[in-house]
Parts: sequence; structure tokens; C-alpha cells
Amino acid sequence: MEISMTVNGMHKTVSIADENTPLLWVVRDTLGLKGTKFGCGKAACGACTLHVDGEAVRSCSYPVKFAEGKDVTTIEGLGDRENPHPVQQAWIDEVVPQCGYCQPGFMMATAALLNKVSKPTDEDIDNNIINVCRCGTYYRMRKAIHKAAELHSKKEIYESKEL
Amino acid sequence: MKSKPFCVVLVLSVFGYLFVWANTPKISKYGPVELTSKSSNQDYDKMMDVLTHQRCMNCHPSDDIPKQGDESHPHYFGMARGEDDHGFEATNCNTCHQSENNLNSGVPGAPHWALAPASMAWEGLTRKEIAERLLDMTMNGNRSHEDLVKHMTEDDLVLWAWEPGIDANGKQRSLPPVSKEEFKEAVENWFANGAIIPSK
Amino acid sequence: MADKGNDSKKTSRRKFLIKGGLGTVGVVAIGAYIFRNPIRRELLGFANSLEAPYTDNTDKPMMWFEVTKINEILLHSPKMEMGQGTFTGIAQMAADELSVSMDQIKVVHAASSTGNVDSFATGGSTSISGLWEPLRELAAMLRVMLIKEAARKMNVGIDELSVENGIISAKGKSLTYALAAEGVENWEIPDVPALKDIKDYKFIGKPVPRVDLDAKVYGNPIFGMDAEMPGMLYGAVVRPSKIGSTFVSADISAAEHMPGVVKIIVEDDFVGVVANSMMEAEHAKNAINVTWGNYGDLDTAAIKNMMTVGNGNSTTIQKNGNAFGEDDDFEILEFRSPIGAHAQIEPNGVVASVDGDSATIKISTQVVSITRKEVAKRLGLDTEKVNIVPTYLGGGFGRRLHTPHAVQAAVMSKAVGKPVKYFFSRKEEFQHDMFRPPTHHIIKGKLNSEGFLDTLEHEFVSGDVATDSALIPNFLTNFLGADVGAIRGGFIQYTAIPNFRAVYWHVVLPFATSWWRSLGLLANTFAMESFIDEMAIKAKKNAVEFRIGQIGESPIDVRLKNVIKAAAKKANYHEEVINGRAMGFAASIDANTPCAQVAEVSIVDNEIVVHKVTVAMDPGLAVNPDQIRAQCEGCVIMGISAVLYEEMFVENGELTPTIYGPYQMALMKNAPKEIDVVLLQGKDTPGAVGEPPLGPIGAAIANAVRRLTGERLTELPLKLSKTV
Repeated sequence: MEISMTVNGMHKTVSIADENTPLLWVVRDTLGLKGTKFGCGKAACGACTLHVDGEAVRSCSYPVKFAEGKDVTTIEGLGDRENPHPVQQAWIDEVVPQCGYCQPGFMMATAALLNKVSKPTDEDIDNNIINVCRCGTYYRMRKAIHKAAELHSKKEIYESKEL
Repeated sequence: MKSKPFCVVLVLSVFGYLFVWANTPKISKYGPVELTSKSSNQDYDKMMDVLTHQRCMNCHPSDDIPKQGDESHPHYFGMARGEDDHGFEATNCNTCHQSENNLNSGVPGAPHWALAPASMAWEGLTRKEIAERLLDMTMNGNRSHEDLVKHMTEDDLVLWAWEPGIDANGKQRSLPPVSKEEFKEAVENWFANGAIIPSK
Repeated sequence: MADKGNDSKKTSRRKFLIKGGLGTVGVVAIGAYIFRNPIRRELLGFANSLEAPYTDNTDKPMMWFEVTKINEILLHSPKMEMGQGTFTGIAQMAADELSVSMDQIKVVHAASSTGNVDSFATGGSTSISGLWEPLRELAAMLRVMLIKEAARKMNVGIDELSVENGIISAKGKSLTYALAAEGVENWEIPDVPALKDIKDYKFIGKPVPRVDLDAKVYGNPIFGMDAEMPGMLYGAVVRPSKIGSTFVSADISAAEHMPGVVKIIVEDDFVGVVANSMMEAEHAKNAINVTWGNYGDLDTAAIKNMMTVGNGNSTTIQKNGNAFGEDDDFEILEFRSPIGAHAQIEPNGVVASVDGDSATIKISTQVVSITRKEVAKRLGLDTEKVNIVPTYLGGGFGRRLHTPHAVQAAVMSKAVGKPVKYFFSRKEEFQHDMFRPPTHHIIKGKLNSEGFLDTLEHEFVSGDVATDSALIPNFLTNFLGADVGAIRGGFIQYTAIPNFRAVYWHVVLPFATSWWRSLGLLANTFAMESFIDEMAIKAKKNAVEFRIGQIGESPIDVRLKNVIKAAAKKANYHEEVINGRAMGFAASIDANTPCAQVAEVSIVDNEIVVHKVTVAMDPGLAVNPDQIRAQCEGCVIMGISAVLYEEMFVENGELTPTIYGPYQMALMKNAPKEIDVVLLQGKDTPGAVGEPPLGPIGAAIANAVRRLTGERLTELPLKLSKTV
């Protein structure tokens, strides 16, 4: 069957035999976007977190058929070197990653959090950011999340002034 | 937070609707049925066998923590009720649970996957207390008997209990001890007979 | 620094070789370099005299650097980047000696075809310390070579030239390294030049950002799991769930005709399926019915029973003064640690392409050379024809010191004539890990009249860590008599105690155990430092003073004392319970790096909560202080995860659990909100960083709990036995 969706702002139509194929594999293997990671395949570790219509979703457990007509954002679409997302900028400022494998999932979860709670408290972070990092970068991540919230609100002020 | 005013309006209108709806006289389609109290008790027991089974009880917790598995362990990773029974702001039920079971990952799913409201906490209650809470309109989401029958016999999330899918290890989740059809019949009969809670 | 102008002892001039024609200007391949490996030197206290050179590559050219047309330097790293920051550290070292900016150094993993492959492994916290001298010398040498060519081309004297940012200049004229190298065919090989003075380094010693930061923040495809090859298919391998299973037969009839299945491969030791997509391979794998034999129905209790001091063979690894006599009174405590899983987030994966007599393997591995030999052997290929192309590792922690799945992927690729990608499921990761072995410890101690230890004995048992591993040759294990991995942290570090003894017992478990970041250190230090704390309490002494009073006077002892004092001071260590919080102290020496930690702990809802950890560590010269801090933070959090939550069980012959969640690990909410790191420099060369901070954390937390509740917790993971 054919599935049409928007991925990182671009319209994509993919042809797939099994409509229950996890969105993760369509994004990685069909569309070639490797930033979204496979960690467990059971929605337990969060390495595959991306956004569907702005909501954090664990794509290893999300059949591609549900993405029909939806707006999918992966780490590649979050920001780039020229225009980093506040979360990415904060991650760079705080030098968060070690091995780096789990980081896209954490950044996508954080970006989703900032869309809902613009100034998250430590408790909000503890509740919402429940991905698994083996290197133990949580300490720097927490700092980066607070920093990203600051950058995010500054960016909003700046953008509203621009308007 | 542009969405806030909208939410407030929505909430108010839902309350308004509920208010009007609750005060509209309704005629139950379930006429009185000639039944002995013994068979009513049997219906009650069957219904309660299901309601107290893990498939139902796991999502009616008394401590805001959803439970998982046949041994009803707290939901992994600290997931909790949140403000609206759907988990936390960004990481909520639908981050992992979709509208159907996922046979690749073993993550269960059904439409409007969520915890039952805190007012419907059953965990740790006796059967009698559960039944009382079930019938109490101040606790049950303002549901009449008719609404309850509909909810318990037609709601996708309730009926998920009989199609719970496989777990992360690929094992079939255990089913309630009473078949779906028997349960539906028991619920309908019990309510039709006046929803009498046995005193024992 | 000593002038090394005439010192050709370490880098033989004859072994330098220049190779061209690899598509970049001025390709410079620099010859073999036998650098010493500190882990082997420091395996055991008495193994210091052992010279353990690399076993291959010593006569072949190794390409370390390439100078590109855009005046960048490619540094081919023989060490893998798995998060520990090695790429950044070596980039700093090379940039400083090459006189280029950090932006001009691009670090890549050396593929085995370039020759620059470490025949040992990336592990043991040795990458920076092992490369410290040789890499700077090689970089300095390349700088001199380029300057000489520039002098010739610019027709000026060498002494008149200066270099900055890869541009050689004199008298208003300048030449980039790229132009200096262009067209040169006969390079003049200099002796090892004098290294720069450390104070003149621009990058070494500075907290420069990680060189892989951008790639990791923007989601670049840098990991083994991201690797692809043109026309590649997907493989899957059927693995047994029960410990000890051997392959008997396979019924492939149902799987054979499933959608997308290309071929099913039944070998003597494994069954694989190749399909067009990953999901198709996975579905077909599940439809293959394999009969396994030889498995039993072990359980956790049976494993614990085996893993008890007194079982297996013993070796006394340390001895001073007299042992306890039969009639002596002593305090005694027993400790246990469980089976631990690596649980690295990137599953083990590989893409293999076998084409005629050659093979290319893209893989996240800590053992390039060993993997290369394994593939060559199985496929009957010339080792030289097997190119291992390492990728970034999505976590190593010792898990990727054993990567024979490269062999299976190669066999599958050969069978279908196309590249095959294959990786472990998470269940396979948990059941076929090379686990951290469980341990059991019996510690006895007796105080003297002054309230210090008169006698201390540590007897402990562990499964294999380094014994019989591909990494440590058997002769070395046999010579040492003890598992050099399992004994890390098992020594008595308070050498001023008049009588002490450490005895290691070796038990072989029925499932694979191996290196787990810091090896024996985590469990051994938990046991030893918990016991020391209990003795301090018995002696009615402050835990810090009790420790300081029993440390010897050798250089490492002095460094240990210094980190203990520094941690106590920085944390403002005290032994009162204030507002429901208590502090716990512990210290360890690992791979010649002493580390002390103070954990600030409270009990919330009957759970142990770690609020703050203060770390004082002396890793010697800090090449990148920020990355050393990151390693300390990471070790503290990984350590909290291991000592508070993690535990593998054995049920009905199966290792369990098989997924995150049931295998509980520290999450964001479990990480301390404060981690304060103090770095000391007690020696002028870089030392081990990536593992030593894992030592003290277990005991530091347990010691804080002891002060909070009065309860001495002796088993990992730490669980409160009563409601507080």
C-alpha cells in the first residue's frame, strides 16, 4: 500500500507491503534518515523518539499506516548547523553527548516537552524525559534542557518582535 | 500557551453538556426481568470476576500509577496519571500506546488509551466497594445505569481486555476469567435487575 | 621536556614509510610504532616488568595522517570512539604538535586496510595514556617533514620558518601544509624531534568541545547501525534462549517461502535468514523452528551457590605480614554483586560484503584486529584481504570486545552474493551479552589498640573477566595466576596496615562473562570500602581520618591521600544526618588513577535517592578537563544505575529480563542533581579516566545509607530491607 506523509516539511509517499511496519524502519531504511535510532524495538528506551503532528512518538512501536496524512519530524528536521533548534544549541553549549546514540531521541523528547511546557521544572523533566542513556549524560542533559528552555523563550520573543 | 483559553472553553462546554444531559429524563431500554436474586448474584459475581482481573484493575489504580502485567507491577519508567489521566505533558500514553495492539513491539493499544479517572480507583477495594463506586454518579463520570451498560459492553478500551495481545516477550496476555459475551450478558442482566449489590 | 633529537629508541627511523596515491595530496603514511600498552603493564602490581608488545602490524606501514588539499589533517585513529572522548583528546594532541587549529584536524577510525589498527583493543582506559607519547611524536615528526619540504620549495632556511594553523611562513612568504606536501615523492625522514613544552600547548589541557559534537547533535549516520552498502540485504540469526544450548537441527520449511526471504543459511553453529527488509528477515527468523540441545534449567540460586568463596581455584594476589590465625577474633562481613548486563543502547550490528577473495566489514567493535582474523579464518580468506571499517560505537563498555557476529554476517553475505546487514534484537542483547560476572566477597578485619586495622583480609570469587578472553593471552593469565580483570579493585589499598591478604577465587560460569566497564572494580570496591567504613564506625573514627591513617607513603599512596582529602574538603564531609540527608565516603585506585567520592543520600518513599556526588580524582595530566569531568559524571550515573537497580536473573535456564524497564536502569530522575568534580594532577602524564570513577560510588552510597538507617547493606543492587 502507499502511505503519504510529510517528513521534515517534505511531502513523501512510500510504497510498503506491510502497513504495520514500524515508522522507524520506513524513516531509516526507506527514507534514509538514520538520525532516528533503533534501541529496543519495544518502546522502552526512547532512542527512536520522533514527532508525529508535533507529539513525541516512539516510532519503533508506531505502525507506518498511522502516519498517513500526518506531519513527521525527525532529528534531521529539528534544526541544522545553520539554524539549530534551541535544544540542539543547548546540547552543544553543554557538551552533552558521549557515545551519542541515544541523544536524538532525548532531543526530540525535549523539543516536544518545550512545546507543551515552555519552562519545565526539574519535576517536569523527571516526569517527561524517561528515555534511557547508558553513558549517564543525564546530569548535563538536565542543564541543557533548562538552557534550551531559555533559548526557546528568547527565540519566541525574538520571532514575535520580527513579526 | 495559546491553547489554554480554548481548553477552558472546551472544559466548560463539556460540563455544560453533562449538566444538561444528566438532567434529561431517560427511559431505560432495559425493562424489569423476572429473576431470582440468586441469579442476580451470579451476574454480579461474573461481572466482578472481570472487574477485579488485572486486565481491568491495572488501569483503575488507587495510587495514580498504572500497573502492568499479570503481577500488576507499577508501570515501568515512572509513568503516572498526569493531569488528565493520559500521562505527562510530552510523554503521555500515546507516546507508546496507539489505537491498537502492536504485535511487533508487544505494546498494547486501544482507542482512547488512558487511565480510568482517579474517582474510579478500584485497586485495593472490596467487590462491594467497587460496585458502589461504579454506580455512584459523583464518582463514575456522571454515568447512569444505561450509560454504564453501554460503557461496559461497547467501549473499545473496556473490550480490549478480551483482545489484550502479546507482551514484549511475545507471550499472550492473560484473559479475564469470563468470556466477553458472558460478561456482557452478566452486566446487562445485573443492571436490568436493578444493579443490586449483594450485602455480603 | 628532554631533548629527543637523538633518541630514536622509541620510534625507529627505518620503519617510516611514505605511501602515495590514495587520492589526496601529500598522503603521508608513517611507519609502524610499537607503543607500550599501560594496561598490560599495570595488570598486576608485579606485572610491571612485563613488556607486552603488539603482536602484529609491527613491520607494516601504518597510516596515521593524511594532508588533504584543503589543508586539513586526517588523523586515522587506531582507537575507537565510544563516547569516552578519545577522538577529541588525540585531536588536541595532534593539533598542538602539528601547529594546526582544532578545526583542521579530522579524526576518522582507521580501517584495517590502512594498517593503523590496534591489535589489542580499545578499552581498559588506556587510549589517551597509551597514545600520549607516540602520537605527539608522530605529529611532531610530520610537522618537521612538512617544514623541510616547505624550506626547499620556498628556498629559505628551516630556522627561518614558523608555523601556525597549518601555514608555514617566512619573510612574508607562506605555504600551506597541503602545498608543501604536494608532489613530494622522496620524503626526508627526521629523527624524533623534541616535543613542545607543555605550557606552550594551545589545546592540550583545555576544555575544548568534543570533535564529534555536531555529528551527534544533528543525527549524522555515524554508527554501525547506520552503515549501509549498495544493494545490501538484511539478515537475522536465530539464537537460543536457554544457557548452554547447542544447535541440533532446524526446520526452515515455514520460513523459506515467506515474503521477502532470499535465503536461509544453516551452518553447523548458527541458522541465519537473509531477506529484502529488516522486518521480513525478523518475521522469517521467528518462523524458523530450531531444535536446541544440551541446555539445563539453571536458576539464580544455583549461580549464587556456584559463586561462593571456596569454590574453584584460588590465587593469593597480595600478601603482607601474617594472616589471621585460627583462634583470632575478627569482624567479618560478606558481600555479593549480581550479574550485570552492558545494555548499551546501540545493539551489536554489522554490514558485511564478501566479494570473491576479499571482504569488507562495517562494524562497531572494540577489537578490529581480532574481528578481522576471525572473519578471515572462517571464510578462508587472506587476513590482508579483509577490511574492517570501524564506525562510532553507540556505547562500548566492554561489550564490543567480542564481535564474532561479523563472521555470521560475512557467511550470509557470501551465501547470497550481496552485502548483508544484521543486528541483534534487544532480547538477544540481554541473553547473549558478555555479562559482568556475579561476585561474592568475605572480608575479615581486626582493629589494634589505637583503633586502626591490625589485619585485613579480602577473599573474593568472580567468573571470568579477562581469563581466556581473546585479549589476554593464556600464557599471561597462567603466569599471573589470576584473572587480571576480575582482580581490579580487589587489592588492599591501605598498605600501612601491618597484616593483609587478598585472595582471588576463580569459578567458570556456564554463560559468557567478560569485561564490563571497570571490570572487577565496581564490585570489589563496593565490598572493600563498605567494610572499611564499618571498621571506622567500630573504631569510632571519622571515615576520612580512618582511611588516611592507614595509607602508605609510595607515590600512588600520596596521590590517594590527596584525592581523599580533596573530596572530603570539597564536599564538606561530615557524619551527621542533617535534614534527612547523610554523606557516605569511599575511595579506590584503578589503573593507577586514585578517585574518592562523597555521596549525599536520603530515603524518599523507602527508596535510596542520591542528591549529590562529589568526585576528586587524580588522572595525571588532564588532556581535556571537560571530557574528564564528563567521564566522572557518566561513571557516577552508570554506577548509580548498577548499584541501585541493575540485576540479571536466571530462571528455568534463561537469562532474564530481556528488555529495559524490567532490567531497571537509572533514568533522568535517578541521576543526582549535583555532581561536583575536582581534578588533581599528581603526575605529569595522562592516566586512566574512563573507568576509575566507577569504583567508589557503590560504597559511598551504602556508607551514607548506613549512617541514615543504621543498616549495613551488603548486596548489590542496594535494597533497603525495612521501611524507614
